[in-house]
Amino acid sequence: MKGRLALDKAFTLAVIIVALAGIIPLLHLLATVAVRGGEAILRAGPGFFTELPAPPGSRRLGGAAPALAGSLVLAVMSTAIGVPLAFGAALFLYEFRGTRLARAARAFLMSLLEIPTVLVGILVYVLLVVPLHGQSLLAGSLALAIVMLPYVATYVESALRQVPQTYREAGLALGLTRAQVALRIVAGIARRGILAGLIIGLSKAIGETAPLLFTVGGARSSVNINPLRPGDAAPLLIFHYAQTPYDNWRMLAWGASLVLVAAVLLIYVVAKAFVREVRM
Amino acid sequence: MTGPVPPEDKRFYYSLLPFIGVSMIVVLVLAAVLAYYSLPAVKKYGATAILGREWSPSEDNPSKARYGLLIPILGTLATATIAVLIGLPIALSMVVLTEEILPYRYRGLLGSIVDVMAAIPTIVYGLWGLTVLAPLLRETLYKWLHARLGWTPLFACNPFTGTTYMTAGILLGIIVVPYIYAIVREAYRSVPKKYRHGIYALGATRLEAVRLIMGMIRSAIAAAVLLAFGRAAGETVAVALVIGSAFNAPRCLLAPGYTIASLIANQFGESFYYPYMANALYLGGLLLLLIGIAANIAGLRLLGRARSLEG
Repeated sequence: MKGRLALDKAFTLAVIIVALAGIIPLLHLLATVAVRGGEAILRAGPGFFTELPAPPGSRRLGGAAPALAGSLVLAVMSTAIGVPLAFGAALFLYEFRGTRLARAARAFLMSLLEIPTVLVGILVYVLLVVPLHGQSLLAGSLALAIVMLPYVATYVESALRQVPQTYREAGLALGLTRAQVALRIVAGIARRGILAGLIIGLSKAIGETAPLLFTVGGARSSVNINPLRPGDAAPLLIFHYAQTPYDNWRMLAWGASLVLVAAVLLIYVVAKAFVREVRM
Repeated sequence: MTGPVPPEDKRFYYSLLPFIGVSMIVVLVLAAVLAYYSLPAVKKYGATAILGREWSPSEDNPSKARYGLLIPILGTLATATIAVLIGLPIALSMVVLTEEILPYRYRGLLGSIVDVMAAIPTIVYGLWGLTVLAPLLRETLYKWLHARLGWTPLFACNPFTGTTYMTAGILLGIIVVPYIYAIVREAYRSVPKKYRHGIYALGATRLEAVRLIMGMIRSAIAAAVLLAFGRAAGETVAVALVIGSAFNAPRCLLAPGYTIASLIANQFGESFYYPYMANALYLGGLLLLLIGIAANIAGLRLLGRARSLEG
């Protein structure tokens, strides 16, 4: 009897220690991003948001303006492309569930979720960048829209499904068409969940790096927001500058990391205000 | 639905088809593009395109160039395996902590911590892994492993740098924790309350109860492992920053290496200057796609079985 209780105590202790082994790296990461990123942004001043990166190895820091402007454009454009696509797909999955086509569509959406995002970048590269003879913010937005599609679609669908069937039946009994019921009644009731899905998609769009590697161009010698020209993105700047030996560029990478982390945490808090349970 | 379908409902059905078409087309066209462009590499190198260990580009003399993907393939499997071995116990402990140990009002807090882990972009994990984790592991864990367990081939090589297969695996382990946690926790909560009450009423300790419940949801745990493996195998930029980018076989985990995804990230941009190199990278992409889809299908099937058992 005593042995069992002692074993149970040891088990509880082990569980706590192992769980902490997962939590401590996260806390360390957040603290490092806050300290090093804060240091970079403080040193660069407001110029961090408005200036171009300084030359490599220079004592000056410059800023990450091309990356931040590009990320903003990418976020808006990819959400504008991806969310309507996801909403339409979710409506189909919800309205015609049980049909063979809906099951197939769900299977494809799920596999899209597990496909490495770098491959989505390669696809857009082959289909858009090569024919247009150049990388562009538009190509990057398209890649990000494809990446966010399955996340937003599954989120919106589960929001629609949480609406009690009685509302749907009441609408149909009034003589509304299925489209009217789905769009006006069910989507109206589920609007908070749908909005949360949109926000989750946004957070995917600003954090993803791999789909942008061969699509967006990494052009940071000027600030570009023209969708048809090459641009930059914050994750891409981090990826490139982290691999350089230059202190000022690495500092910019930390500054951009702080901006990114702050943005996704803000998005998380906002999404949390809309729905009780957020799945990132 | 019985009876004739009203024409406006039919129109609704057809108007939504393009939306579900997008994801189908993306997956199918992606597979076709990767297969089409990898064909030249398969034709030229045959089985050595996959089983060859040599990756030596040659700018001026294409006939001397060799592109074999064996090392990145093994590197992908090795790092994803380490990731699961590290991520699984952490995620399971967090589930037990949330569901069995923490007082009720702190459970939401742990859930939020895991949400934040999932929300942080992997590129930031990569930057942290390169700057903080890699040097730390080299000075502590790797030196210790090499000194104590250097007689096993896994730790035989001297850890000259912090960016290694092991570092990539450990970082991926942290990254996949939230995925495993989400699936296992959902399954754990779906076990009917009366079972838990019954188990505890019989006088079971916490350990005994957890072992019984984990046994009930073992297909969900297996599914989580598979899906996390797929995620880890496909992760690109975080791995590219911490794996060291070198063609060493992952026989020794303390050496720098390559995965398929990090090879693509590093070399796809310049591959068009070298005949056949891009084709070999497309072949790598095709393998990644197959790994991802296989993990997904197997994982979802297990998850489906777990869900039908609950019903």
